[in-house]
Amino acid sequence: MDAIEALSLSKRFGTIQALNQVDFTVSEGETFGFLGPNGAGKTTTIRILTGISAPTGGTARIFGRDIVRDTIAARRQMGIVHETSNIYTDLSAWQNLMFTAELYNVGKKEREKRGADLFELFGLSERRDDKTNGFSKGMKRRLTLAMGLINHPRLLFLDEPTSGLDVQSNLIIRDVIRELNKTGVTVFLTTHNIEEANLACDRVAIINRGQIAAIDSPERLKHTIQSVQSIEVAFDPVSQVHVEDLEQLPHVSEVRKQGDKFRLITEDPPGVLEDIMEYARRHHVHVISVNTPGPSLEDVFIRLTGLDIRTKGVKTVD
Amino acid sequence: MTDPGEWCGQVCTELHAAWAIAKKDILIYYLKPNIIVSGMLFPIFMFLAFAIGRPEVPAVMIPGLIAITILFSASSIEPVSIPIERRMKTFDRLLSAPISLHTVVLGESMSGFLYSLGIAFVPLIAGLILFPTPIVGFAALIAGLVLTSFCFATMGTLFAAYPTESPGDIMSMLNLVRLPLIFVSGVLIPLEQIPQIGQYIAYFSPLTYGNDLIQAAFAGDTHFNPVIDIVMLLLFILAFQFVANRLYKKYND
Ligand SMILES: Nc1ncnc2c1ncn2[C@@H]1O[C@H](COP(=O)(O)OP(=O)(O)O)[C@@H](O)[C@H]1O
Ligand SMILES: [Mg+2]
Repeated sequence: MDAIEALSLSKRFGTIQALNQVDFTVSEGETFGFLGPNGAGKTTTIRILTGISAPTGGTARIFGRDIVRDTIAARRQMGIVHETSNIYTDLSAWQNLMFTAELYNVGKKEREKRGADLFELFGLSERRDDKTNGFSKGMKRRLTLAMGLINHPRLLFLDEPTSGLDVQSNLIIRDVIRELNKTGVTVFLTTHNIEEANLACDRVAIINRGQIAAIDSPERLKHTIQSVQSIEVAFDPVSQVHVEDLEQLPHVSEVRKQGDKFRLITEDPPGVLEDIMEYARRHHVHVISVNTPGPSLEDVFIRLTGLDIRTKGVKTVD
Repeated sequence: MTDPGEWCGQVCTELHAAWAIAKKDILIYYLKPNIIVSGMLFPIFMFLAFAIGRPEVPAVMIPGLIAITILFSASSIEPVSIPIERRMKTFDRLLSAPISLHTVVLGESMSGFLYSLGIAFVPLIAGLILFPTPIVGFAALIAGLVLTSFCFATMGTLFAAYPTESPGDIMSMLNLVRLPLIFVSGVLIPLEQIPQIGQYIAYFSPLTYGNDLIQAAFAGDTHFNPVIDIVMLLLFILAFQFVANRLYKKYND
């Protein structure tokens, strides 16, 4: 049975069409990613699938149960990690967790055991009885995740789980997602981080302006635009090289600066390579490395959505 | 406590969740300063403003004081807590839990209900100690305290359905209703002394019946049979619960 079936889901807020006939299915055990820029409709989709908000068109089923008509039964199977770390800051970490357990009807013995295990897993045991208003952003996020897992969900919704977090929290959360997946839990996560989708997900749906542009595994998505070729080059000293100069080279369609490297998109890598060496000689800089990587998920994303990632709040790496 | 679910099914699960919601509100909100001000001090000053300078004060006014205290304290928690939780997004937790929306409304109302029951004991005990105010009907007193508290707690939850993140928005709407209620419900001014139109309006005020029931307990002036009072309060509770459920559903987007 599919964990999620979304059939032509639409959502309209007044004049805004937030979702437009979105179709997809998520099989049990899959880690499925919703990748899209801010305002694409990711949170709206999660709010519909969890029964908080009703769709204005279409239907959705969670393990075969209609989310609008059979809401409670559908929700019993799921854990939800909302976009904001929504914890009660006047309560302790433990009180937060136990309250969630009671909402999900987890028995007293069971919730205390599960709670202790989750706090161990998320590195929160030491701060268990502290009020959460002093917690760092990463700790709040980890607590929110523990709360989402207290009822042993078969399906976990994660709305931008690692957005804007410290490295340590990020690693813990990514590890947990991987471990959950091994134990057969289905994960539906949204992200605007292309690398996260690439690393964590079995399949990715690219969503833009309320519509799905493509759904496939990260590798197959990259394959679909195999024709995009590029050269990645690093110079020394890097400060002498300007994106504008490289954009002037013949047959270069786009230049992206990635860390200390430049990525030149072109149809003619050998020709451009010669021009780069010539450019380096003229400007008295050294080429210290050259690479010709295949298309990245970022390239797929740009191709499918027509968006310039850097101006639309989509991050390529953390 | 034995865990529910295994032996009594979904109803117990829902009640248990409602109680969990109430406990959460008790832990978080009972000691918040703005709740103490609007729930405790406001009714006392309100009452003093009317009581000072009257010859019959205060023994006869004890039942009315209890009724006003309940009106204000019962409806003072949710109009503050729910907008705050909307802003903190914690309200989404309740809206996405595997429980009915009725349970969310009930659980939220319970904290206002218990708060108000506790506060109502202040004028009650004070009245018993300071003045000769004999209680003639214990059943009427208990029914009056419980039903009136529950009714106004549910009314508070109902008003809090208005989709705002600012408690002030809801408080001002609520006061637009609560303050006039005091004048048309026979609490401070006996029903016979207000204009005819006010007396008609009084029939639509739950405070009229709550006050009447508490008056009966103290052998004060009553207008209705206590059974009528009880039935009317129950009807108001059901109506508020039903409408609140509808509004929360409508505004969840
Ligand atoms: N409650 C709402 N009322 C009106 N518009 C909304 C509401 N929620 C979301 N939207 C709009 O719907 C679109 C999708 O939003 P959202 O699902 O939050 O995007 P994402 O999570 O992908 O960043 C946006 O244009 C947003 O402004
Ligand atoms: Mg979002």
